[in-house]
Amino acid sequence: MSEAAEATPSPGTSDRFVFPRWANYALPVIVVVVMGGLLYVPVAIGLGLSPKALAVGYAPTQPVPYSHAMHAGQLGIDCRYCHSTVEKTPFAAIPASQVCMNCHSVIRNKDADGKSPNPRLKPLLDSFATGKPVEWVKIHDLPDFAYFNHSAHVNHGVGCVSCHGRIDQMDVVQQVAPLSMSWCLDCHREPEKNLRPKSQITNMAWSPTDEPEGKGLSREEAQRAVGTKLKSEYGIHDQAYMTSCYTCHR
Amino acid sequence: MSQVEHHQSGVGYWRDLEQLAETPAVEEMMAHEFPGYTPGSMLSAGGASRRRFLKLMGASMAMAGLTLTGCRRWPKEHLAPYSTNPAGRMPGVPEQYATAWEFGGVAQPLLVTSYDGRPIKIEGNPSHPGSWTVKGKLGSADAFAQATVLEMYDPDRSREFLDRSTDKVKVWHWEGFSEKAGEHFGKMKGSGAGFAILSEATTSPSVLDMKKRLLAAFPQAKWYEYEPLSRDAEMEGSKRAFGKPVRSVLHLDKASAVVLFDADLLGTHPAHVRYAGDWAERRRSADHGEMNRVYIAETCFSITGTVADVRLPVHPGRIDALVRALAKRVGVAGVSGDEKLSKDEEAFVDAAASDLKGAGGAGVVSVGPAASVEAVALSHAINQQLGAVGKCVTLIDEPAGDRSSHFAAIAELVKQMTAGKVDTLLILGGNPAYDAPADLDFANALKSVKASIRLGLYDDETSKLCKWHIPRAHYLESWGDARAWDGSVGIVQPLILPLFGGKSVIEVLAMIAGDKVTAGDQIVRRTWKEQFIKGGDFERTWRRVLEAGVLENSASAPIQATAKAGGGGEAGNGAAATSEPSKGAFYLKFEPDSHVHDGRFANNAWLQETPDSLTKVVWDNAAMISVKDAQDLEIKTGDVLKLAANGRWMEIAAYVMPGQPIGVIGLPLGYGRTSAGSIGEKLGFNTYNLRASTTPYVIAGAQVAKTGDTYTLCLTALHHLIDKVGMDGRQERIGGKGESGRLVREATFAEFKKDSKSPHKGFEGAARLQLFKPPHTFNDTHAWGMTIDLNTCIGCNACAVACQAENNVPVVGKDQVLMHRMMAWLRIDRYFKGDAADPQIDVIHQPMMCQHCENAPCEQVCPVGATMHDTEGLNTMVYNRCVGTRYCSNNCPYKVRRFNYFDWHAKPPRNKTGVLYPGLPDQQQNDVDKIRRMQFNPEVTVRMRGVMEKCTYCTHRIARAKINTRNAGTDVKDGDIITACQQACPTQAITFGNLNEKTAAVVGLQRLDRAYDVLGDLDTRPRTRYLAKLRNPVGGGAGASSSPGEHTRMNATVGSESESVG
Repeated sequence: MSEAAEATPSPGTSDRFVFPRWANYALPVIVVVVMGGLLYVPVAIGLGLSPKALAVGYAPTQPVPYSHAMHAGQLGIDCRYCHSTVEKTPFAAIPASQVCMNCHSVIRNKDADGKSPNPRLKPLLDSFATGKPVEWVKIHDLPDFAYFNHSAHVNHGVGCVSCHGRIDQMDVVQQVAPLSMSWCLDCHREPEKNLRPKSQITNMAWSPTDEPEGKGLSREEAQRAVGTKLKSEYGIHDQAYMTSCYTCHR
Repeated sequence: MSQVEHHQSGVGYWRDLEQLAETPAVEEMMAHEFPGYTPGSMLSAGGASRRRFLKLMGASMAMAGLTLTGCRRWPKEHLAPYSTNPAGRMPGVPEQYATAWEFGGVAQPLLVTSYDGRPIKIEGNPSHPGSWTVKGKLGSADAFAQATVLEMYDPDRSREFLDRSTDKVKVWHWEGFSEKAGEHFGKMKGSGAGFAILSEATTSPSVLDMKKRLLAAFPQAKWYEYEPLSRDAEMEGSKRAFGKPVRSVLHLDKASAVVLFDADLLGTHPAHVRYAGDWAERRRSADHGEMNRVYIAETCFSITGTVADVRLPVHPGRIDALVRALAKRVGVAGVSGDEKLSKDEEAFVDAAASDLKGAGGAGVVSVGPAASVEAVALSHAINQQLGAVGKCVTLIDEPAGDRSSHFAAIAELVKQMTAGKVDTLLILGGNPAYDAPADLDFANALKSVKASIRLGLYDDETSKLCKWHIPRAHYLESWGDARAWDGSVGIVQPLILPLFGGKSVIEVLAMIAGDKVTAGDQIVRRTWKEQFIKGGDFERTWRRVLEAGVLENSASAPIQATAKAGGGGEAGNGAAATSEPSKGAFYLKFEPDSHVHDGRFANNAWLQETPDSLTKVVWDNAAMISVKDAQDLEIKTGDVLKLAANGRWMEIAAYVMPGQPIGVIGLPLGYGRTSAGSIGEKLGFNTYNLRASTTPYVIAGAQVAKTGDTYTLCLTALHHLIDKVGMDGRQERIGGKGESGRLVREATFAEFKKDSKSPHKGFEGAARLQLFKPPHTFNDTHAWGMTIDLNTCIGCNACAVACQAENNVPVVGKDQVLMHRMMAWLRIDRYFKGDAADPQIDVIHQPMMCQHCENAPCEQVCPVGATMHDTEGLNTMVYNRCVGTRYCSNNCPYKVRRFNYFDWHAKPPRNKTGVLYPGLPDQQQNDVDKIRRMQFNPEVTVRMRGVMEKCTYCTHRIARAKINTRNAGTDVKDGDIITACQQACPTQAITFGNLNEKTAAVVGLQRLDRAYDVLGDLDTRPRTRYLAKLRNPVGGGAGASSSPGEHTRMNATVGSESESVG
């Protein structure tokens, strides 16, 4: 290219028709950029799909070290004792401090010495005394353009465990499902894979093989048998409706 | 036939004079893919060029890739439950509370939706007779009432107690203020000499009770009441007719003939919501063979005028003569003097008289607030003569009618102030420094008052001139009570604690009067204990009133009153008023503005950007001048006029208004504010500058001249024009089998009775153009659909504001509206018909939003599937898929899709810097005002920059109803889902429901012969159908089919031949 420039030095020809000298270095730069790009794209996609990006396993520290394993697991308190609005409203309400104090006004509210307040419960006791809320950290956080309604799911046979995992075995609650759109659609396409009788919604240990339809079948086959029956019994919409955009986005 | 007429209609429907004239600008607008979209302007900072554009694009893409802007960590969010849960409160479940808003002394009964403690949406109270459209089910609230929720969240509201008694403005708090005030008023106790109170109009029992207590504590104090848009002519007129102040409550649902003189019953009357609903009942009955007839003689085009069957535009000097002529013809005794009427006037009065007499007590006459006292008095005599009293008119005692009229009161106060007889002035609300008549010079008089105290929502014109300012609590933040137009009492209950620590009127009065009871709720309870809930269980009744919003059976009892003969005096003093104005002189007529009313809503961006029902102007007011006057004076819309009258003058932009009476210039009040807040300041023209206290509504003999300047008015009438290219092409291909592309259809009632398909005459042959095989089959149990009845739509904008509030629709500001970027999902197209110069021109209002076409053109062109159909027939718009190509908007024949050019919620609607693009605010970066954000409806996504949006049929309301009913094991029934626009409509023109449910109201309406699809011949198969408009002109519109455009002309042969009404 530079030879071309030198070969036509005739006066009157404007320089603007000639590539400048730095253009000689363009090729190596382009090669580096393309190579970088080829590396960059898979890395970006890989990172984007990693469990870390999808927040699976996200288990932030809460102001009160509340253990679901102890309360829901060992003591067997029903999910709905605290998350009382789950069957009626879009949100499974985080319990008011009052609810905790139903028991903790008399249980374990004192430190080992029996006098000073239990330091682990301090944020709770403060909240109850002052009327200010305990600020829990939100774990299961959907994007703002997706509208999830707890009541619509638990009233139609989707159990807590299907999305939240074995909460009754977690000392510190963590996110187990990616909560991605494709994960939601897996179930919206084939709800029978996750349906259970309404009486078993909060039962974390329920198995389809416990049901009469599932007796003696493998777990997968049993779930299909139970789910298919419940799908028509509960009047679950067909796939076309369940995967319509406005079902979740508004 | 011109092109425009050809494609728009067939009988020449048009939206704007420019369109009628087919100016190149309009042609350009129609041809342009995105009118107002000028990518060049974005780059103009460095000289627009393709090369520069590509450079910037390349650079920004590279930067985007490098910095991984898409991969932001999600914000850490917290959940804050109650410490102790209030009984029955469930997070995320909206609750509704009944309350009321006192507007100009009349309660507007409301139902406020509160979401997690934040009021977000205002509707009418369906259990209150003042606002129900379907008792117990649907309540309507007008555009103003609905927009007050935005006023409450206005960040510009005053937040501090201010002390301006010294040169330096001191910021105070309530305790400091009450201490100082206690000292000041303590000295006056027992006398109150030199103490004056100026209140806005109120009939609140608690305020009146506190007034009594205050005047007992300060016996020599004087109480004045002023309202710039006063209805006192009506009160004074009734005094003349009956000897005491009497209020008429009309029952338009019982009236088959309604004759109005400058009375905008459906648009600006305090009871217009109820009146519009009642009126609509007698329009809908057309489908059963009955229809009322409305006559109006008016001096400015009003909403009622647009839907009246017979409209006579006259100048203000003629109203008295017309009322008198009518009185004479219906046989009112004691009316003398019969001056000459023009041919049109003669026909109007004859036809009206004949219908009124024929109606047998089901006819009613009403005269508006701008008319003379004599005309009002005479209207009472006419109603009595007709036997309407007790049938379609109820007379009740005017609540708090024992006062002098507003204009007399303010004049007296100013006199006292200038005479130095007022030492202490307490101004409760209002804004007299801005809106008092100009001849009084209130602002100047106010400066001479030693101690002036102002209670106001804003630190506005009046507060700036007062020594002390107290922030006022909004009605959604305070306790109170109020009386509706029919006299029924209701409680104003707060939805939220005062955001900025304001105080209510009764709290301030209690403090000054030294009352033992100081809390707002305690004052109201005391009043109610003493006046309304005397026996029985107080708490129980109180709770019931709180829940219903109104005390049962508390409407004022009808009174027996006999109007004096001839209305108690000669109507008008003949000669002077009725003489034609001298050549070149104009009448000026002051009007309430549809955006800001009297100026109080200046800082309300929703109202500023809601197009006026008639002019479709936003963000401004303009002088309305008739087409003929404009031609004579060579005035075009946007020309600046100089108006001079009574030694004062002002400049204002002109708007050439078809249908405006010749010789009358309409001047909307309320603009030109100087201290309104960041939204409302320095907008439009302050027409109060010309107002006089003696003739507050009409000024005769004004001089008009062009200054030669022009002003950019924001005219939205031509925005989103439905273009003709496709229609012409279609016509070419399939030939002239009937006309296609007619947007609005109408017929006269007489034609309709003969042939119920008459609105569609001439369009039957227009075949559906099958472009695609419809891609969808709908087999769901739900098929959502809507009807819009053009016969009852009055263009009042209630639906538009309801949609804005419900769906988080942003405002964009005047500069962006000028670029056709208005975001309103629901617009109301207003079409004029026929000859622009005809003062009796006809109008049709057509609400237009997404039609949810089954065969939607937008879906065919979206490259990313961001707009799709769901199984229930909704045309869904998926924001998170949209990449902003705007192909869908281009392909939408109805022009109902709106593109987010910016993060509108983060961008202030008034552009202060003058630079449009750099430094874009970003919604994701929390640039939306924290207080404004509280108003958002959490059930609707707040859209971000770069996505398309449009009407969703309120899909969140559909989802909520479906989930709730399915949780209970049932399915949605007709009436379970009410869209926001349907809910707000005072005339029930909008109906929504399931087309698969045979008994649903919407199914019955869609099957009416009046129903038609707009642009149905494009085979879009819209789910929204329109019902054709019917008019009921005198003479039945004979010969309408041969000469369309003529059929609503007054027919001279009236009387015995006239079509019977109702």
